[in-house]
Amino acid sequence: MEDCTSSSEQDYYCSDQDSLDGIDNDESHVQWVPPKASSCKVITKESLLAAQREDLRRVMDLLSLREHHARTLLIHYRWDVEKLFAVLVEKGRDCLFAGAGVTLVENHDLPSSSTIMCNICIEDVPGADATKMDCGHDFCNNCWTEHFIVKINEGQSKRIRCMAHKCNAICDEAIVRNLVSKRHPDLAEKFDRFLLESYIEDNKMVKWCPSAPHCGNAIRVEDDEFCEVECSCGLQFCFSCLAEAHSPCSCLMWELWTKKCHDESETVNWITVHTKSCPKCHKPVEKNGGCNLVSCICGQAFCWLCGGATGRDHTWSRINGHSCGRYKEDREKKAERAKRDLYRYMHYHNRYKAHTDSFKLESNLKETIREKVSNLERNELRLKDFSWVTNGLYRLFRSRRVLSYSYPFAYYMFGDDLFMDEMTKEEREIKQHLFEDQQQQLEANVEKLSKYIEEPFDQFGENKVMEIRMVVINLSVITDNLCKKMYECIENDLLGSLQFGIHSIAPYQSKGIEKATELSVCWNPKVTNTEKCPTRDYHTNGITKESNRPSGSGSLDESGCSSRKRPRKESTIDLNLPAEVIDRN
Amino acid sequence: MQASRARLFKEYKEVQREKAADPDIQLACDDSNIFKWTALIKGPSETPFEGGVFQLAFSVPEQYPLQPPQVRFLTKIFHPNVHFKTGEICLDILKNAWSPAWTLQSVCRAIIALMAHPEPDSPLNCDSGNLLRSGDIRGYQSMARMYTRLAAMSKKG
Repeated sequence: MEDCTSSSEQDYYCSDQDSLDGIDNDESHVQWVPPKASSCKVITKESLLAAQREDLRRVMDLLSLREHHARTLLIHYRWDVEKLFAVLVEKGRDCLFAGAGVTLVENHDLPSSSTIMCNICIEDVPGADATKMDCGHDFCNNCWTEHFIVKINEGQSKRIRCMAHKCNAICDEAIVRNLVSKRHPDLAEKFDRFLLESYIEDNKMVKWCPSAPHCGNAIRVEDDEFCEVECSCGLQFCFSCLAEAHSPCSCLMWELWTKKCHDESETVNWITVHTKSCPKCHKPVEKNGGCNLVSCICGQAFCWLCGGATGRDHTWSRINGHSCGRYKEDREKKAERAKRDLYRYMHYHNRYKAHTDSFKLESNLKETIREKVSNLERNELRLKDFSWVTNGLYRLFRSRRVLSYSYPFAYYMFGDDLFMDEMTKEEREIKQHLFEDQQQQLEANVEKLSKYIEEPFDQFGENKVMEIRMVVINLSVITDNLCKKMYECIENDLLGSLQFGIHSIAPYQSKGIEKATELSVCWNPKVTNTEKCPTRDYHTNGITKESNRPSGSGSLDESGCSSRKRPRKESTIDLNLPAEVIDRN
Repeated sequence: MQASRARLFKEYKEVQREKAADPDIQLACDDSNIFKWTALIKGPSETPFEGGVFQLAFSVPEQYPLQPPQVRFLTKIFHPNVHFKTGEICLDILKNAWSPAWTLQSVCRAIIALMAHPEPDSPLNCDSGNLLRSGDIRGYQSMARMYTRLAAMSKKG
């Protein structure tokens, strides 16, 4: 512990000299993995087309195909360009095309004078009223149109096959659009939308933002689907399960936990085991000892053993001998177990809840911290840079989050529900101690950090402020380090040692949950990513919901490409920015 | 709707004209409803169904031919891909492999082909499928022949 603290202190000493430009500099010292540009992209309604184009272009260029063929291929291979190329290399071009229903017979010239027998309606139609698909089958336009309408209404827009028997070919989308729009323009629109949204629906790496009401955006990740992202609408979520960000819990753990908390199943469990509902007023009644003839607060007396109201069969004198007591032993065992389970759950839930509550309370600190910083600046101290305050606050948010989610994690990791067969009792005990040690350390430091951040340091003298500054900076580094170590422990020693790797967690991000950057829209040269990316990417940061981004967002709105549906609150602080910038706003 | 009616009418005329062309199939349309058809098909030779005449009922949807007709056996038949009680048929072209290029006549032909070549791996009649899958060809054939005799042959012989 000690050496870690002192070494990071040094880090901070050197960084402080040039940290006037704020958190970015400091962050680079705390950063454990090399910083990389944000790999998550927001796909808005407007940029959806552009997002597809990239992949389409790659396939079209490599295979020298027309766009609709490339799209058919990509839909078939779920927009996995790498997989598509792998199939191409492994099995060859013909196999790739045949599998996806792409046929390249390019002869569209129908002898327009002659008539054609359409095999569907069995009518002779003039050649001009018939259409030949790429696969070479031709039918009359009327039958094609009917076919397309049926398929679109069936939700098959993405793979409308040719009408000929055993013909696997996917129909040319241009022909579909053209024919359908003549009769049902709205249906043609629907068809187009389905094709467009296939990029989201059929793509493992792209998902709709789960915001409600829906912000209209989708998020694309680059390489790891186990990650947590923040949409440009401000919502933070787990990309894998679309629930709220819950790392270090795995998605399954989190699902179980929320369900458990939601229906308070343990409490219900306890109530069912420990109480009986009164046969008269139906309130649950708990027995407080003594004999098995209990009386409810409403005055009704009943037999505890069978729950029956006492009447002619159950009287004071005769309850001892009756037969409904034969399951008593079993019931006691069950009661014991239920009680133990409940206590265990309560232990973890209380801590989880306490930290979540603290987190909520600490969120209110943003405002007071801003005040404190401006007070300090007015005091004209020697110290000019107060990024350590926002830095510390942000670190507090981040580690508080980790801490609160670490409790549901521990509940399942060391409980009987999930990993009963994976570890022996002794193994589990050792691992639990190991984990709890780290958790305790983290907890202690988070609380300390919280205490110092809440100090009214703007009213202190310069020396005291410097002292607090030192402590806050140190604690920030320590908690970050501890979070990282706890994740290492979880990933390597706990989850990593399991036989079945179904519990993957989003990795620890010291900087917080990654904000997805807006995808560059190629058709508007005014808005390019290079303009905004540097500022945004380095400001990736967690916790600050609805943070105000002074750079970029304005220009976006002007160029008419922004699809942000939610108005941004102007009053919040962006913790990523140096204090001066915040104050200027 | 008009399209399906027109197409069925065409098929009806075709059936009338080519009655002699395929003696194994007799398709007939319900007198009052062009969307209801019945067919009599002969059991294919060198199968346990040889000598039997099986009745099929067609129920044609309004989206026909873009959607497949519903077909079931009215005559009881012991076959892995036909439901023993309801007569429902498990045949790919009647489900997802349907193509509008099929006609009622060609569907009948496909069903005759299915009778000769059962698919025991997707059975609707598990008893029948299990006999075939366990390699008990004789057992399957004698069961199938028994039901053909009982249900699909005129009582005189």
